[in-house]
Amino acid sequence: MAVWNYLDGFFPQLLLIAFALVMPAIDYVVKDKRVLAWASLVPLLVLAALFTEWLFIGGWEPPASDIALLEVSMFSGLFVLVFVFVGIVVVLGSPEFIKADKNQGEYYALILLAITGMTVVAEAADLIALFVGLEIAGISSFALSGFRKTEKRSAEAATKYFIVGGFSSALTLFAISLIYGVAGTTQIVGIEPVLAGYVSGTEPIDAGPVLVLATVLLMAGFGFKIAMVPFHMWAPDVYEGAPTPISGLLAAASKKMGFAAFFKVFLIGLILTKTDWDIAVGALAIITMTVGNLIAVSQTNMKRLLAYSSIAQAGYVLIALPVATQYAVAGGMFHILTHAFMKSGAFMVVAAMGAVAVGEKLDDFKGLNRRSPFLALSMTLFLLSLAGIPPLAGFASKFVLFSSSVYASFEPGQGWLIWLAIAGVLNSALSLYYYARVIKYMYMEKGTGDSVKIPPMMAVAVGFAVLMVVGIGLFPDPFVSACRDAAEAFSGLAPGWR
Amino acid sequence: MFEGVPIISIIILLPLIGAIMSFSLGRHDKYAKWVALGFSTAALVLSLLVVVAFMVEPNTGSEGYHEGNGFFDFQFYEEYSWIESLGIRYIVGLDGLSIALFVLTTLLSTISILFSWDTKLRPKEYFGLMLVLEVGVLGVFTTLDYFVFYVFWEIVLIPMYFLIGVWGGPNKDYAAIKFFIYTHIASLALLIAIMAMYFEAGANSFGMEDIWRAGQSEFARTFQIAVFAAAFFGFGVKLPMVPFHTWLPDAHVEAPTAGSVLLAGLLLKMGGYGIIRVAMPTLPEGAEALQLVMAAIAIASILYGALVCLAQRDLKKMVAFSSISHMGFVLLGYATFTQVGVAAGVFQMFAHGLVTAVLFMMCGVVQHHCGTRIIQDLGGLSKKMPAASTMMTIGFLASLGLPGLVSFAAEFMVLASMFDTWALWLFLPIISVAITAAYYLWALQRSMFGPLTTKIDTSHVHDMNWYESVPVGLLLALIALFGVFPLVVFQYIDPAVRIVLDLFGGG
Repeated sequence: MAVWNYLDGFFPQLLLIAFALVMPAIDYVVKDKRVLAWASLVPLLVLAALFTEWLFIGGWEPPASDIALLEVSMFSGLFVLVFVFVGIVVVLGSPEFIKADKNQGEYYALILLAITGMTVVAEAADLIALFVGLEIAGISSFALSGFRKTEKRSAEAATKYFIVGGFSSALTLFAISLIYGVAGTTQIVGIEPVLAGYVSGTEPIDAGPVLVLATVLLMAGFGFKIAMVPFHMWAPDVYEGAPTPISGLLAAASKKMGFAAFFKVFLIGLILTKTDWDIAVGALAIITMTVGNLIAVSQTNMKRLLAYSSIAQAGYVLIALPVATQYAVAGGMFHILTHAFMKSGAFMVVAAMGAVAVGEKLDDFKGLNRRSPFLALSMTLFLLSLAGIPPLAGFASKFVLFSSSVYASFEPGQGWLIWLAIAGVLNSALSLYYYARVIKYMYMEKGTGDSVKIPPMMAVAVGFAVLMVVGIGLFPDPFVSACRDAAEAFSGLAPGWR
Repeated sequence: MFEGVPIISIIILLPLIGAIMSFSLGRHDKYAKWVALGFSTAALVLSLLVVVAFMVEPNTGSEGYHEGNGFFDFQFYEEYSWIESLGIRYIVGLDGLSIALFVLTTLLSTISILFSWDTKLRPKEYFGLMLVLEVGVLGVFTTLDYFVFYVFWEIVLIPMYFLIGVWGGPNKDYAAIKFFIYTHIASLALLIAIMAMYFEAGANSFGMEDIWRAGQSEFARTFQIAVFAAAFFGFGVKLPMVPFHTWLPDAHVEAPTAGSVLLAGLLLKMGGYGIIRVAMPTLPEGAEALQLVMAAIAIASILYGALVCLAQRDLKKMVAFSSISHMGFVLLGYATFTQVGVAAGVFQMFAHGLVTAVLFMMCGVVQHHCGTRIIQDLGGLSKKMPAASTMMTIGFLASLGLPGLVSFAAEFMVLASMFDTWALWLFLPIISVAITAAYYLWALQRSMFGPLTTKIDTSHVHDMNWYESVPVGLLLALIALFGVFPLVVFQYIDPAVRIVLDLFGGG
């Protein structure tokens, strides 16, 4: 039992890894490859049920970890829930999409491993654990992007992603070693007290340029993960080349992992030097959303359009960092939650269109309403939600997020924060232009081709995302509360954090 | 009459149910118009009963009566918690400012549905969207929570975007997307204003009354000016005010007739309503500081709209620009900050809603029967369509402010109160009265009277169909009725306006 006491904090990860490991074996035994999808849904559904009960109902609680590597809190729990939900949507959308491919067992195993890595990042209490989680998720996703290795675009995407990802890992690791050199600890909550001199027997440390360098390197390293401008170049190529469900996983989950890391390291570990980085991050947020939206306008491939749109959405979430209040973290998490559903749903629509040979170009959306009213309506809801039109989920989360910066700007000396909200709403209006154009293609332009029948599992995946986007929009209360609890738990991690 | 019945929610829900039914008709889409007419008529009948109940039994203290204690008293008040953690509640209620617009909404929606009776292109979507639009507008005019207000405000955009984009004219793509984005940007200014008011009030509530009350003590003068400017921009674009009016002519020219009727009849009123319900009571000091800006923009809109009308070749575009001019009177009325002026501004919204619906319908009739709306190509139509030309004449006369018809009461009172406030500056808006008469009569003369046109084939032109003449006739009857008895409406507007003005320093 002693071993279990040591490991029970890893319960979600162990469950995922166990299923990931048996997946190739199942692949070897069964003929009907859809069994693989059902099998990989098992751990995801179990975790989804348990974490939903914990965060929204109360009752079950995850076992606390005895070791200092992981910190299980409502903050990490909400991220885990997001990853698991995206995993469910992606797995549901996969069997039809890859039905002609080999090595399907490895495909599902890698999805589960990628999600494992993301959960480690969400729960990491230590910079080393954080880095290990980033790597588990990263390496699994490189392989997933290149899953169709005979396909040129897929291989190119994997190579690009691998090189960029490896580079960003190196930057992150270097930054971590610098922080360790200054603070003498890799515990995320331990950095600030050491720097501030709260630990008995120590003086405040003026780390000076070393810490600034570490901050910049971390911004770059995490910036790659969340596709923050100017570290965003890889995202459209990879999203375009990777199998579409995997693009959904990258945009909706992998990116959120980057935010989990960003929030933890910047808002807890480096909060003492916030004045060094807040204006830079704020400026990068505005640049990221503006560049993402401007380039999205001219895209002709739907996956690239969604890639740029998720770059822009990352810019919105970045607002939470310079604002740095509990309410802002709640808003950022809420937008992460809703974006996971809208973006994975939108990618599933594209995947469904690819699976039934309609195509992934913007032109292929012409007259989609006649070919598949369900897909057209779902896509319309996802796009309107991404643009922040009420009463959909994206509006509710943008509302909380942007209003947090309005609120914080009332504080003396923080007036500049209002510009983050203004940039956010102006960008929302800009994004409406290209979203509305897609809707116009689907409903107002004449297309060719007959009506298509959507494979049932994909329809379930899209339908689930629609349900969440509309449901969160109409009844945001439990989700807002959960995000507030998560933000409270987050601020509870660091002593002295407001 | 409606003790314990959530009557307003029922009226808002009816078109929503109708819309869902209409969308899900599948192959039986020829019944869509009956579904739409059924549900919108039910909403209309109930709303008329609400008006009767509103007038007959404003018994204070009864269930559903909400005392404002210094702010507006509401009837048929309902309150439910929605997003508790942010202090957002679904609150609806009616008072003198909203009751007329409320019933105007159900009336014009029903009438536009009837007027589109021969829509053949994708009828189940068309009628479904009309009903969704009705839901949004009804929500805007009844809700008493800023967050919910904004939600309804934005919901209105989507059906209108589709109505223009799918059923519109040749240049519909451009017009639809311009309408959508232009008005959405304005809404976002409003959104930031709402966020700022919520946090500055510090009452953890988006309820309008809570924020009005908190604003009395909490809102500093500079804060009020900044937020009023943002909110005024948000509402003013919808109104529309010069120079932010350019979406309107495009949207109107391309929109289908019923879409234009709802756009001019209801959507523009949302802007006017927002200023008097949201901006002025919450931010009186901001309004006072920007009084001259409001007045200048109002006069610019009145004159510019009227002058541009003179140059129009398209009948519908002329009517569209005339809306800019007439909605300027609403703003001018508000800007006087006098009892008579503000009340007349509110009444002008109601009057313009009735009149402009007639005008757009007549444009639709001309387009439908003659195949063109270009004034130069028309002429002598009174010989072919006598009923239509009579109705159009009455409509134009009503719009130019003929005494005895509804617009006269509103515009005359706006001008009179303008004289009270700014004396001889009155000469600016008064010029527009002459210009308005000129463009209407000139257009009438060229299109309806004189020798029959030879530029278009008039052999198949016949008079109006029943589903065209019944709605127009009904509206003309109301125009005459409220022209003679404007006091029926004014007696309910007046007390509400008094409450707004009591919040102002000058009174």
